[in-house]
Amino acid sequence: MSDLLTTPSSLSALREQKRAAFLLGLRAIAPGLVALTIWGLVTGVAMSRSGLNDQTAIVMSLLVYAGSAQLTALPLIAAGAPLWLIFAAGIIVNLRFVIFGAALHPYFKDLPWAKRLFMGYLAVDIAFVAFMPRFHDAPRKGTLEQHWFFLGAVIPSWFLWQLTSMIGISLGNVVPVSWSIDFAATLALLALMLPLANTRPIILSVLAAAAVAWVAQTLPLRLGLLAAVLVGIVVGMWAEAKLAVRGRA
Amino acid sequence: MGDTQYLYSAILLLALCVVICRTGYLVFGHYFPLPPKLRSALRYAPLAALAAIIVPDVLPWTAQTGPQFDLKFLAAGVSVVVFLVTRNGLLVILSGMLALWSLRGLLVLF
Repeated sequence: MSDLLTTPSSLSALREQKRAAFLLGLRAIAPGLVALTIWGLVTGVAMSRSGLNDQTAIVMSLLVYAGSAQLTALPLIAAGAPLWLIFAAGIIVNLRFVIFGAALHPYFKDLPWAKRLFMGYLAVDIAFVAFMPRFHDAPRKGTLEQHWFFLGAVIPSWFLWQLTSMIGISLGNVVPVSWSIDFAATLALLALMLPLANTRPIILSVLAAAAVAWVAQTLPLRLGLLAAVLVGIVVGMWAEAKLAVRGRA
Repeated sequence: MGDTQYLYSAILLLALCVVICRTGYLVFGHYFPLPPKLRSALRYAPLAALAAIIVPDVLPWTAQTGPQFDLKFLAAGVSVVVFLVTRNGLLVILSGMLALWSLRGLLVLF
């Protein structure tokens, strides 16, 4: 074990390196945390309004930790839907995370499986958005910096989500619906997205995904979201190939 | 609502869904290698997902009423312009909210 040979000074340098990467991750996800705060509140309010008692709502928030799956399942649970249907709906709503997991795999593949399980469980949308554009072109994948950047993005997200969900659960309904405060969450996602849409293939991919999301939003179970992600990937690839060819000509 | 056993079964099943989808590939991905080209294409997934979360909020479309125009679309347009000028994330959020509230105020006045 090379760890046995590390001197105290290189240990503290290592700790400093981890701390710096953690803070970078936290900074990258900051706009996402605004969205997360509002969504946590909204989801908490929705849970208490759907008739879940406080204790069940808190357990749901702690274990499930997935706003879209929770919001999808609440009406099903309230209607007493069969458990298999709730499970099937939960899988479909979460399918996009399979794609995210495949994208993150090269960065975490050398970690022990328990750590992969831990990192994956915390990999919410905004963390993925903060992480991938930054490290996509990294020559080495799976560095210490990347792991701690990711932790800096996901750990504050988890705590903030639990805190705001619980505030939402206990407040029930304080902010008037007419203020449309949930729109601030959408704007925060826009603030997260705009600086990253900086190449032509990405912009084309985003526009295509937006068009599909607009048309397909009436599909149940957020299937429109999944379709938009798939089309966005295909159009991005196509635009990349097309523009590269034109660049060479 | 519901009995306790049903509620907790539903919650545990949902948690299982999240674990399967979020960690499945990370834990078992070694057995399902992806071609490098496809893997590189996954970089388009995050922003496509964000766009797909944003669009239904600013341009809603329900099965009963068809496509709807919402003032949120104009407000989001204002915040995009503010971003292009200032490159500031916080101003994107503030300008969008202010634009929405003022547009609604104007609609009430006229």
